Parts: sequence; C-alpha cells; structure tokens
Amino acid sequence: MAEPSGAETRPPIRVTVKTPKDKEEIVICDRASVKEFKEEISRKFKAQQDQLVLIFAGKILKDGDTLNQHGIKDGLTVHLVIKTPQKAQDPAVATASSPSTPDPASAPSTTPASPATPAQPSTSGSAISDAGSGSRRSSGGGPSPGAGEGPPSTTASILSGFGGILGLGSLGLGSANFMELQQQMQRQLMSNPEMLSQIMENPLVQDMMSNPDLMRHMIMANPQMQQLMERNPEISHMLNNPELMRQTMELARNPAMMQEMMRNQDRALSNLESIPGGYNALRRMYTDIQEPMFSAAREQFGNNPFSSLAGNSDSTSSQPLRTENREPLPNPWSPSPPTSQAPGSGGEGTGGSGTSQVHPTVSNPFGINAASLGSGMFNSPEMQALLQQISENPQLMQNVISAPYMRSMMQTLAQNPDFAAQMMVNVPLFAGNPQLQEQLRLQLPVFLQQVICLLFPATSHCLSLLALLQIQQGLQTLQTEVGQRGSAGSNTGSAPEAPTSSPATPATSSPTGASNAQQQLMQQMIQLLAGSGNSQVQTPEVRFQQQLEQLNSMGFINREANLQALIATGGDINAAIERLLGSQLS
Amino acid sequence: MAGEVRISYLKSHSKVRDEEGLEPRKFHSRGVKVPRNFRLLEELEEGQKGVGDGTVSWGLEDDEDMTLTRWTGMIIGPPRTIYENRIYSLKIECGPKYPEAPPFVRFVTKINMNGVNSSNGVVDPRAISVLAKWQNSYSIKVVLQELRRLMMSKENMKLPQPPEGQCYSN
Repeated sequence: MAEPSGAETRPPIRVTVKTPKDKEEIVICDRASVKEFKEEISRKFKAQQDQLVLIFAGKILKDGDTLNQHGIKDGLTVHLVIKTPQKAQDPAVATASSPSTPDPASAPSTTPASPATPAQPSTSGSAISDAGSGSRRSSGGGPSPGAGEGPPSTTASILSGFGGILGLGSLGLGSANFMELQQQMQRQLMSNPEMLSQIMENPLVQDMMSNPDLMRHMIMANPQMQQLMERNPEISHMLNNPELMRQTMELARNPAMMQEMMRNQDRALSNLESIPGGYNALRRMYTDIQEPMFSAAREQFGNNPFSSLAGNSDSTSSQPLRTENREPLPNPWSPSPPTSQAPGSGGEGTGGSGTSQVHPTVSNPFGINAASLGSGMFNSPEMQALLQQISENPQLMQNVISAPYMRSMMQTLAQNPDFAAQMMVNVPLFAGNPQLQEQLRLQLPVFLQQVICLLFPATSHCLSLLALLQIQQGLQTLQTEVGQRGSAGSNTGSAPEAPTSSPATPATSSPTGASNAQQQLMQQMIQLLAGSGNSQVQTPEVRFQQQLEQLNSMGFINREANLQALIATGGDINAAIERLLGSQLS
Repeated sequence: MAGEVRISYLKSHSKVRDEEGLEPRKFHSRGVKVPRNFRLLEELEEGQKGVGDGTVSWGLEDDEDMTLTRWTGMIIGPPRTIYENRIYSLKIECGPKYPEAPPFVRFVTKINMNGVNSSNGVVDPRAISVLAKWQNSYSIKVVLQELRRLMMSKENMKLPQPPEGQCYSN
C-alpha cells in the first residue's frame, strides 16, 4: 500500500464534510472509526449523531467502520445528510436550473405543516447558511463582490419590506382581508414568530405570496423602490428572477429560517468587513441599496416615523449614514418608548415609535381623524399609532378609504351615531376632556357625515372643492376668533357645520383650561380640510407628469395611451412601455 | 491502497494532468479517445473528492476491483418532492465498452419512479434520456444527476413511495 511518507505517526487528516447546503472541514485521525467521525461532525454541524448519514464514494458509512476502511484520506470529501424527524429540513435554495453556479441545489422547501420551531436549530442553521449562500450564488454572482453581497441583504430587506408590505398589500388592493386585522396581526407577529408562520399558512396570504408577479408589482409600486431600481439594476434583476422571488417568499414564510438567515448574513457581512477594502464595499452597498430600501419600506408605513419620535427632527442625521444601523429599530406599534422587536438590526424595515399623541403638523392632516375613526374599531394604542402613520401618507389614506369595505364601514358609522360615539370616547385627545366629548357626541352625526364626504374624493371634485374652500376660510376665521377670545367652547364641534365665517355660539360652556386642546383640534381640522383638498387636485396626469415626459421623449406620442398605460402600471415606466408595445403589436 | 497507486500512476504519467481538478471534458474536447481505465480512474477521484453539489455520490463498489467495473452510487432525494430526505443507493456497472457504451444502472433502494423497474430497480436505458442518447462525454456523475433531476419532474415528484429503507432483493 502506498502511503504518503511520514505517515508512520498517523497525522490527523482533513476531511471535508459536505451537506447539500454547507461545507465544513473536520480534522480527525485517519485510524478513527466512523462513530468518532460522527461525533466530531455532530459537534460542528450541531446535529445529533443519529441524525447524521455519511456517504462516501457512493457508500453509506456505518458506525462500526473505520475511515481507513473506506479509503477516506486527507483532502477528500464526505457527503452528509442530516435527517430530522420532521418533514422540514435541509431546505436548500435556488433551483437546479441555474447551471452556472456550482451549487444549484434545489428550491427552498416550505414548512407548510409545521410552525417553525426552534427544535432543530442545527438544520435550520445549516439551511440558512445555505439559504444565504445560495441566494448569493443564485443571483448569478453579482458583478462585484460588493454587489454580490447586495442581493442577499436586499433579500432580507425585501423580506422586511414584505413584512410591512404584506399588511399594506391589502390596502392597495382593497382585498377581502380587513386591513386593520392584518395590521393587528402584524403587530402580534413581530412579537410572536410562531404566529407569523400560522399567518403565512392563511391561504389568502399564501396565494398572494405564491404569485411572484403580484409581489413584484407591489414592490415596484413604491416610487422609492422604483428609484432604487433605476439606480441599481441588480435589484430589478433580482426582482425579475422568479426563482429568487419564490425563495424569498418561502423564507418569509418561515421566520426561524429568516432569523437564521439574517444572523448568517450578519456574520457574512462582518467577515466581509474584515477583508481589506471590504468595509468600503459594505458601506457602498449599504448606502446604495439598504438605505433606500429601508426608507422605501418605511415610507409605506407613513413617512419617516422618526419624525414623530424626535419631534420632527430628522433622526437619520443623528446617525452616520455610512454605517450600518446597529441599533434596533424602534417598533412602530409599541405605545411606550421604542423597544426592539425586530429580529436583527437590519431585519425589519419598519421603524418609528408609536406615540399615540397626534402632533399637529402639516404632514398630518388626517391625524385626528384617523385616530378618531380607527381607534374605535380597535381599542389599542398601537393601532392608533399605526393609523397615524398611515394617515401621514395621504395617498395611502385614499387607498384605504376607497377600499369598498371601508366605505361601507364609514356609512354604517354615519348611520349609527352610538357606535361613532363610542369611538370618540376612545380618542386620546378627547379622553381627557369629557366636556368636549359631550359636545362632539351631540354634533356627531353631522360631523361624521361631513367628514365622510370630505374623505371620499371620488365624489364630485368641483363641488366638494368649493365647499372645502369655504369651510377652510370659515375655520381660519374661527381660529383667529378663538385665539382672541382664549376660550373656544364648542366652536370646534360646530366648526364643520359652518361653511360661512360666522363664529357659532358655543353650545355649552367649557372650561378655559381646555382651550389648548381645542386650538390643536382646530388646527388639525383646518389642515385636514386643506390636506384633503390638496390631495384631490392630483390627477393621474399630474402624478405621472415626469413619466409622461419621458415617454414622450422616447417617441410615444400618444399621450392618451401613455397615460392609460401609466395608470395601469402605477407609474412604472418600464412596465408602461411594455404595455404600450404590447398593445401596438397586437 | 490500490486506488491510490493507480491515481498516483496517472498523475505522474499523464501529460495532460498538470493540475488538480482537470475536467474530464477537456480531454474529450480535443477529440482524443480516452482509454476506459483513465476515464474511470478520473471518475473515481472525482467521486472521492465530492465534485459537484453534494447531492450525488459515487465510488467503486470494491476498492480492489482492478477492472473498475462495479460502482455504487448515492442520490440524496431532492427537497420538496416525495423523495425528500431519502438516500437512494444504486449499483452501476461500467462495461468494457464504457465510455462509448452507457453503463447499466439499477437502484438498490426501492423507489417508485418512471423509467425504473419496480420489481428489481433496473433503470430502463430507453426511458432515461442520458442513457438512451449516451455520449462518451457523459459520466456516472451525469447519470446520477440526471436521475435526481428526474425525481424533481412533475411526473415523478409526487409518486407514492415504498417505506424508507427497503431494498430490492437480489
């Protein structure tokens, strides 16, 4: 037998152990038995020994054999399969259809039946590392190592965006799912990963997620994402790669997997950092990709949530932009000071603290209204904060309101003053002011009707615009009056009723101490009207102005068709072009 | 070990093999007709090194087999199929005309799959494309990978399977 020289002392040999997803080097004495080998392996792969099945050169290695017996030598590779009692393990990544990558593996496995339990951390660990590495490879090996790492992190960001978008998806689509329910679910999801998997099993959710086109559409609908995609075509490649989409969606279904993947990516990223020049690449990657993604995801939740946290100061400036955010992002749904509920620092794109206080800002025209309307439904401060954020984005609000079920809800609300009264009670702004509540309750039916009319932009634009303007003027006068007098009484309650500028006499007296709150209320009313008025002015033409110009310059001169296409694709130029071309060919 | 001897012989005497991991394809692209034993030795080495994605494995059934005829193979069942998490053992026989003629392949572990005889596990060469249209650039690895790919096909991936661990008797 020819042995390498110097083998008399039997030096340990290095054997590579490969699973479909992972690879580790085990150093072991070559006289060792397979059992000892398995002990080492179980340590490295964090699996039970009896879960390990070793294969070398087409043969299964039995515990009683020795490595020598099978001819396992230094530098050779042994294949490992980690069996788990559950169905779900070895979830690999990518598909076998990408021939260019050395590890095409197979598509990710779902865990449809079982919630992701931490019982098998080893497999999920190895699964995730492969999920991470697989996604790296399946992205076709990005042009540069920096960009190559981009996709997996954006995968994670997309997932986090998914977490946020998932709830909002119903908003944009007006699907049968109650938006509020989903929001609430989401909140609970953040704190309870098992629930996430249960949610994911909801067939509706699954349907949505299993439709990559739909997901892609949702993501692309976000203008920030569009910008991001223009700047970084890799992202659009990634979005257009159905395999990757499916994989990320599978990952989203399995939160434990997600967590592991995040952790793994963090590890990988820190490894990257240690490479000379790697830090710069990371930095670049972060600024180019992650940041806009985060803000894109966040925006969907109603602009910069930090604004409410830090009193309108831009908190991103307080943190160096070029480094990764190592602090846990604040939880938008927690009423108390932000707690980190998101797994991993970069895990969730949703941030912002949940303050139930409604700051009277210009960007918050619907602030009070949302709180008043929504909170009655779900007496939870988290919901209010969420709604507040939603309301900060008037576009979103429109979507919400135009959803058919919302409409019917509002109508029932208008017809049922008791119900609405209940809601009003729960509004925090009014909570401390029983007199105000009283007044509002009295004024309620009219008030509600007015509000509902205002909120339905679909109804005749011109008339409501005029009315709005009148009301606006009236309110302004009211406000000045109130400011002068120092005690407003129930002007607030009767404000919407008075389109003219005559100050209504206070219905009942109210303590002067409440004037501040009332002034705030007044301000919000005004802004509400102003805001709703403004939002109605934006016709699709205005919104797509820039895109229309672009299409024009490209040679699509049919403005009507362009507009149609843009409306259909929600402002996505590329999709609109395809649409136009498709219609021309047919 | 006999295998080692053969491999080191190959290494020292083969001009083409100047570095590790030389693809057997390179050989064939030159139009050179590779001797059977050379090819099989190469495949042996590949099998030991674990070239590929780690979902198939192959090696000599008997290390002392000088004719390099009898091989064993392993396929790890692809996830998201009924074959998931199972390990299928195969016997592969490379005849004297290999690689000009395809090898004989048969499953040892019981399996229910199109193209595999359900009573003895023999893989029907007419049903499997790489065997039916065999080229001398194909290898045992290719056959195993193709079988695995077929496990993932729509027609196979949901076929009910016999209980795990059963083998064909013979």
